Amino acid sequence: MIGAGIKRGTAELAILSVLEEGPLHGYEMARRIEEQTKGALRFTLAALYPMLYRMEQRGWIRGAWETSPSGRRKRCYRLTPAGKKKLSPLRKEWAELFGALKRLTKAAHA
Amino acid sequence: MPDWREIVSKGLSGLKLGAGEKEEVHAELAAHLEESYEVFCKEGLPEKEAVHRTFEQVADWQDLRREIFIAKRSGHPMQKRVQQLWTPGFLTMALSMIFLVTLQGLGFQARVVSWNGPRTTLLNLPWLLSLPFFGALGAYLSSRAGGSRRTVLLASTFPALALTGAFLSMFPIGFAMERIIGRRVGFSIVATTLLRDGIGWLLVPGAALLAGGVLVNLLFSGRTSSQSTAVG
Repeated sequence: MIGAGIKRGTAELAILSVLEEGPLHGYEMARRIEEQTKGALRFTLAALYPMLYRMEQRGWIRGAWETSPSGRRKRCYRLTPAGKKKLSPLRKEWAELFGALKRLTKAAHA
Repeated sequence: MPDWREIVSKGLSGLKLGAGEKEEVHAELAAHLEESYEVFCKEGLPEKEAVHRTFEQVADWQDLRREIFIAKRSGHPMQKRVQQLWTPGFLTMALSMIFLVTLQGLGFQARVVSWNGPRTTLLNLPWLLSLPFFGALGAYLSSRAGGSRRTVLLASTFPALALTGAFLSMFPIGFAMERIIGRRVGFSIVATTLLRDGIGWLLVPGAALLAGGVLVNLLFSGRTSSQSTAVG
């Protein structure tokens, strides 16, 4: 059964997936998502940060200030154990959704 | 180059968050805009165009302010508190108490230590030596659940704080009971005795637990800064 909150789950899945590869700060995260989805998913600042803060409040990710080699301070996010746990069911929900849509479009074409 | 910090502060003015939290949001968003602008400039855009493209990231500052406020105040506060404070705190308390009982069962009893002339207190040295580890465990669990520094330290010292609270509550409870049943029960005498021994059972253990908590905090922050070079 596909959950009701699956729409918002797109963004959550994208963020959790890129953070699974390692800690990232906001700008880098948005860039990585855009690159990996070949521009299909784009996060502006206004879309990204409320989502990051919400996920942080839920305990899925954790942000901490870090200093880059250039001396610039950035807030880097990393997955928490709760976030890692959340990733697997989210992926499953999305696979179910895409499977269902695929079946639907095939039936419509037949 | 525009003052991105100033722009963010103005755009989000009226954001109802604590001063520290608000400063963090301003700094983070300004860093994002600055990096975005620099990338546009590196890509060869004229400064005016780079500024324009950077500003496009926020169509409506009021909307962003509202979204950030809602996001920062969302989550499940009760669940978070359980994960970050109560569970690590009670676990630290349970384990330290079980260890104390085990030590006493093995014959390691508390000893009377005299200090400041005739004053004495009870100390169980092997137990006290173990407390930094229990404090560190509580701090680690709290930190892992995303606890703030304050919550982490509260979780590590939870046994001492809980016992202090229990001892202090004896005074009003005893007073109320004496009033209800109409005779002296002596709760306050017991509580006063316990508080007198508070150095051995509350203050020193509390400090030992806190030492473990502080150590974990330092280790975590040390690990964070060492990772920063890899993040770039």
